Amino acid sequence: MFAYTLTRLVYLALVLAVMSVLIFLVTQAMPGDVASMIAGQFASKEVVDAIAVKLGLDQPLIVQYGHWAAGILRGDLGRSLVLEQPIGPILMEALARSLVLAVVALFVVAVVGIGLGVLAAVRRGKLTDQLVSGVSYLGIAVPDFFWAIVLVLVFGSYMKLLPTGGYAPIADGFLPWASHLVLPVITLVLMLLARIARLTRSSMIDVLQTNYVKFARAKGMPESVVILRHALKNALLPTITVLAIDFGLILGGVVVIETIFSYPGMGRLLLFAIQRHDLPLIQATILIVSAAYCLANLTADLLYAFVNPKIRHGMRAS
Amino acid sequence: MTDATPARAPVQSVPRRHLPSLPVSLLVGIVLLAPLVVAAVAGSWIAPYPYDEMNIMSRLQPPGVEFWFGTDEFGRDVFSRTLVGTGSSLVMGVAATALSLLAGVPLGLIAGYKGGRTGEAIMRAMDVLMSFPPILLGILVLAVTPPAQWKAIVAIGIVYVPQVVRLTRAITLELMQEEFITAARLRGESAAYILFHEILPNIWPPLVVEASLRVVFAILLGASLSFIGMGAQPPSSDWGLMISEARPFVEQAPWIALCPGFALATAVIGINLLGDGLRALLDPRNTGAH
Amino acid sequence: MMMRRLVARAVLSAILLSGTAMSVQAAGTLKVSVDSNLNTLDPAKMKGGQEYVAAYLIFNGLTVIGHDMTVKPDLAERWERSDDLKTWTFHLRKGVKFHNGRELEAEDVVATIARIQDKATGSTARVNFEIVESMKALDPLTVQFQLKSPYAGFAELFGERQARIVPRDAIDTLASKPVGTGPFEFVSFAPGDRIVLKRNANYFEPGLPKLDEVIVRILPESAAQVAALTTGELDLVWNLPLEAIEKVKGDPKLKIDSVPTSTWDGVIMNNTVKPFDDPRVRKAVAMALDKQAITQIALFGNGTPTHSPIPPSHPYYNKDLKIAKGDPAGAKKLLAEAGYPNGFEVTLHTPAGRATRERLGLAVRELLKPAGITVNVQRVPFDVFLKDIEGKAGFYIDGFFSRPTIDTSVYPWYHSRGSWNTALWSYSNPKMDTLLDGARQAKSEDEAKALYTQVQALAVEDSPGVIPYVINHINGLSAKVHGFHSHPMMFLDLRDVSVD
Repeated sequence: MFAYTLTRLVYLALVLAVMSVLIFLVTQAMPGDVASMIAGQFASKEVVDAIAVKLGLDQPLIVQYGHWAAGILRGDLGRSLVLEQPIGPILMEALARSLVLAVVALFVVAVVGIGLGVLAAVRRGKLTDQLVSGVSYLGIAVPDFFWAIVLVLVFGSYMKLLPTGGYAPIADGFLPWASHLVLPVITLVLMLLARIARLTRSSMIDVLQTNYVKFARAKGMPESVVILRHALKNALLPTITVLAIDFGLILGGVVVIETIFSYPGMGRLLLFAIQRHDLPLIQATILIVSAAYCLANLTADLLYAFVNPKIRHGMRAS
Repeated sequence: MTDATPARAPVQSVPRRHLPSLPVSLLVGIVLLAPLVVAAVAGSWIAPYPYDEMNIMSRLQPPGVEFWFGTDEFGRDVFSRTLVGTGSSLVMGVAATALSLLAGVPLGLIAGYKGGRTGEAIMRAMDVLMSFPPILLGILVLAVTPPAQWKAIVAIGIVYVPQVVRLTRAITLELMQEEFITAARLRGESAAYILFHEILPNIWPPLVVEASLRVVFAILLGASLSFIGMGAQPPSSDWGLMISEARPFVEQAPWIALCPGFALATAVIGINLLGDGLRALLDPRNTGAH
Repeated sequence: MMMRRLVARAVLSAILLSGTAMSVQAAGTLKVSVDSNLNTLDPAKMKGGQEYVAAYLIFNGLTVIGHDMTVKPDLAERWERSDDLKTWTFHLRKGVKFHNGRELEAEDVVATIARIQDKATGSTARVNFEIVESMKALDPLTVQFQLKSPYAGFAELFGERQARIVPRDAIDTLASKPVGTGPFEFVSFAPGDRIVLKRNANYFEPGLPKLDEVIVRILPESAAQVAALTTGELDLVWNLPLEAIEKVKGDPKLKIDSVPTSTWDGVIMNNTVKPFDDPRVRKAVAMALDKQAITQIALFGNGTPTHSPIPPSHPYYNKDLKIAKGDPAGAKKLLAEAGYPNGFEVTLHTPAGRATRERLGLAVRELLKPAGITVNVQRVPFDVFLKDIEGKAGFYIDGFFSRPTIDTSVYPWYHSRGSWNTALWSYSNPKMDTLLDGARQAKSEDEAKALYTQVQALAVEDSPGVIPYVINHINGLSAKVHGFHSHPMMFLDLRDVSVD
């Protein structure tokens, strides 16, 4: 297990290195060169050139990449050209805020999704099952931004219950902070609920038909124990991996959600960076988010590998 | 990664099934999609108004007899725009999926058939691409150039190439074990022949199923990219773009966002059902749904 | 059991804590929203309206443009100018302190302006101060400027947004830790989220400011802004989106405060491109356009029709010139004279993403139809617009923000050598040049007024373009906010403001 983890981590590092090169090269190809954007519309060529030299934009690409990569390894994510501040603290704060959304959403998706999936599996074919399928279908039928707008309409404009945008630091109080999270989290949850519910449902149905479960029932165990203690553990396996992947999807998907809810997380930071052609900020943001996504996937794979032998072991034993 | 398990393909030539009755999902899917396809092809002709005709005097009107889904802030008919936008939104998804198949299948075949260093290199490259969250990869590709819809299509295609490659390779590897492939090799057939005449015909059922899944994601990703301004550009009435433009007026004129939203939902549900139906048709042993 | 009770108690105290936290904030804190992220907190580099909001809260200038659009003393309590209008001497107030405790000195002013003049800084105000040949700190409280040519409006230039005075020893960290002399001190800035400012206890105006704290939140979504204002999460929405005005007006707990600015949109006719090289055609277009109707369509009524960038609220406005109603019949006649008895067809370019100007373009299309002119509206992405349309195309819609002085509002566009002229409509009339040059050297207010009155009459006569309106600056606020008046330069003057 340890060796496996180590190999995967090394591989991850390699992949990240390649990704960083890709990101660097692609952002260098951006039009609207940074120096003239900073200098402004009416600046003369010497001014633009002077600024380019100051920013080190005249050096060969390899050298620029080297500086950037070395900086990242040191923990220095560079300096935002537009905000004129070190990127690190800004990025980390934005990442933290997005992570809050992601973690809360993931938790809700897990609890509600698994719950619904189990319910549908147990009452397979009946009305509950159809309802769950229907509801979760709706969630994925329409893109997240549409639900976001509907939520804004219902809760913000008509019912005036919840804030429809922005963010309140937890220092302002728990309630304001939490209330700003509700709508974005609901939108994220709707997006992912269907998959988790359906996956749990199918794997539950599979497990419920195995000899292992039949044996447990034959032993006279009460149904609830059968479901919760025996079937669920095994059924959760694929669900866990999907949850970890979903975490990464949320990180990517927040770009749109944060735009609608004016939530100051990574997604909005990235769009801001792109609009302003702030190369260092774009590079750092995409790299960090992608790294988080890779880590989430790796965690999923490791989790699966970790849990799997135990289950196989357990099933053989009975 | 649940995509890694390929459907088990029939190993001889595709058997002739007699179709007792088509799956319900397939039928419902077709019913939902048929009007959309018509709209995609002939939208501009059947729409009551031109999609970009601005009647500033009748702006922000609620749905009524004259304008079935009301008008937007420039006085354009929302229903017509949604209708005409069908082409844009659906084509983005279909074209991007087709692109990913076009690029991904050959790569997957090579990786599966030749294996070795080339195969490894291809798979590692795909790993790197898959390490980006989907929308982020799309944004990365699009950030470097002024936005245009065709560029978004290419970007989405790139995002989904890795999955296609993986699937193709996995099926190819499985097929390579089959006797008829070994027989063909012993016969001395060229690689090209084997690939085209033996392997390819057996891959397309799972690929079609895969494509039907992908199209939905591609359409949604396309809508998202248009929503943040990196896909279709104004004055196009692409659904994602329409919803985005509706934001400032969402309270006083919600119909501007709701109409394309319903259209999008119909398309997604329709394609999902169609995909379910196709899966049931092409591979009843592995429908995935219980 | 124990666990449950502990959890309950924790939740209860969290709720109570949040309650108290909220009430502690409520006294004397103003929560404002702006609609776009701030790129920088360094005044010299600012380019956007929301950044100017921060500039005026944290900094002061030598002078400031007052609510009546005239120049008033700020950090300079008085100034003199030589008879030839080339030497200007400013006397600074004594005892003004920067937020870091140091007293303001003349050297700070010199450093600020030198920095703006430096090309490497990239300040958009550099052009304004090119007229300065040299400057010197005569003593710690006196600064003297030598100008290259006479300029009557030099004092007004210091009211410009980028000319806020910064401390010479804190210049390097301005972007992240701005230090100024203004009514509010910088506390923190979370990009994309908010800026927090606190009261400057040592502000040089006694008794001001009244607020303890100002929180500027960044909320780009207009629906979210209005919703937050309605629920009380915000006290003031800066630059209220036009679509939201009706909603705020209808709410008894909220109010609208609006003021005309000199921000204008215009129907630009390139004087070097057919058919607009003929003044009769231009005049015909001007005749056909009903400015009231245009204001209603483009701005939902929140603007004021005008003749030129000089707003109707300004003392120099030519009240004798009537805002004519649209006269398509007269326009048709004039077109016939010019050789277009059946009108003509033309393409009008509008910048995509600039809502008021897009609507203006559509209004123009509607209103020129009866005059026989068929307009094809073509939307162009904004960066392409700046590159390929401005100054080059024949017929397009453009717009510009308020400038601090009448001269800088008019000269760049109407003078044949003005910096914006060839980038806009290539208009040239020696008579106009004489009037504008003369106004620059006017020795008295009356002289300037007389000249600008003629300028406006000539602008209407020649119609290089049609300026249908100046846009109102509108803020939405809660009824709990007192003492607030919108400023025509669109920044927030919060010195006198208090919140219940």
